Amino acid sequence: MTLILNDLPALHWALAGLGIAGITLALLLLGSRRLGISSGFEDICSLVLPAPYFRRAAVVSGRPWRLPLLCGLVIGGFLSAVLGGGWQPTWALGMFDAAIGLGPAGKLAWMFVAGLFIGFGTRLAGGCTAGHGIFGLANLERPSLITTITFVAAGIVTTQIVYRVIFPLAGV
Amino acid sequence: MTKAYLVLGTIFGFILSRSGAADYDFIQGMFLFTNLQLYGIMGVAVLVGVPGIWLIKRRGRTLTGRAIEIELKPLHRGNIAGGVLFGVGWSLAGMCPGPILVNIGEGKIYAVAALAGALAGAGLFGTVYQRMQKPFALPALKVGTGEG
Repeated sequence: MTLILNDLPALHWALAGLGIAGITLALLLLGSRRLGISSGFEDICSLVLPAPYFRRAAVVSGRPWRLPLLCGLVIGGFLSAVLGGGWQPTWALGMFDAAIGLGPAGKLAWMFVAGLFIGFGTRLAGGCTAGHGIFGLANLERPSLITTITFVAAGIVTTQIVYRVIFPLAGV
Repeated sequence: MTKAYLVLGTIFGFILSRSGAADYDFIQGMFLFTNLQLYGIMGVAVLVGVPGIWLIKRRGRTLTGRAIEIELKPLHRGNIAGGVLFGVGWSLAGMCPGPILVNIGEGKIYAVAALAGALAGAGLFGTVYQRMQKPFALPALKVGTGEG
């Protein structure tokens, strides 16, 4: 199985896991920072929204390091494309194109709705795959175990419904 | 320090991009159990992270000598309710928060819509937070400037 991005082969899982652990530990050792990405969404919101929630100490003190980290993620994706066969804007979406087959406008609507679930859900849960799934589990935190089991289970159920029931895909 | 976080984010983004963690098909494969790559990645990251975090906490200081302080995430009803919503969104988009940004960098145009949705969702949550506090037993707001 190759990546949608330029049909590249995927890194070995153990190497990728090791790299992600390295980033997590580097953030902690460098600045006592807890890995977290979805918190960065509220950092961005806090730049324009006045609600008290966005004036929390955790947001104000997190922005100076989390916003550069988030910018880095975009740059990392860009470099990955440039160094791996070239960067070009694309609508390609793998299995989605084969089974669901929405055009550009449909994809934008689908992704916006999915994003709403992600943005609202991660903030209600207090974190995402990074803050709960990687850091929280590695720091043996019970709320992170509960949250991680919940979001992985919800993902499994949703994908099973989408690709085995509503849009059954041959070979899946 | 800003540069250091930018560099760490860039390496993180590159790894997410090349590992399948930011790839729609790998995410669906994980949830269909037809491709176990992502379970392997998360498993290794956590297994290596456990002793790593323990050692850094035991050391007690950052490289620049600051005290290591980790803010723990609270336990409340939102963990499960939010986890369900996030899991649905993760499956539908084939991206979790980090990979949304990585996909934008890769040139995947639809990921911009996922980011817009995620920001709208986070913005909505912050705006209605006080009304959700009681039903979900969410923590009180600590407004302030933090440690800077």
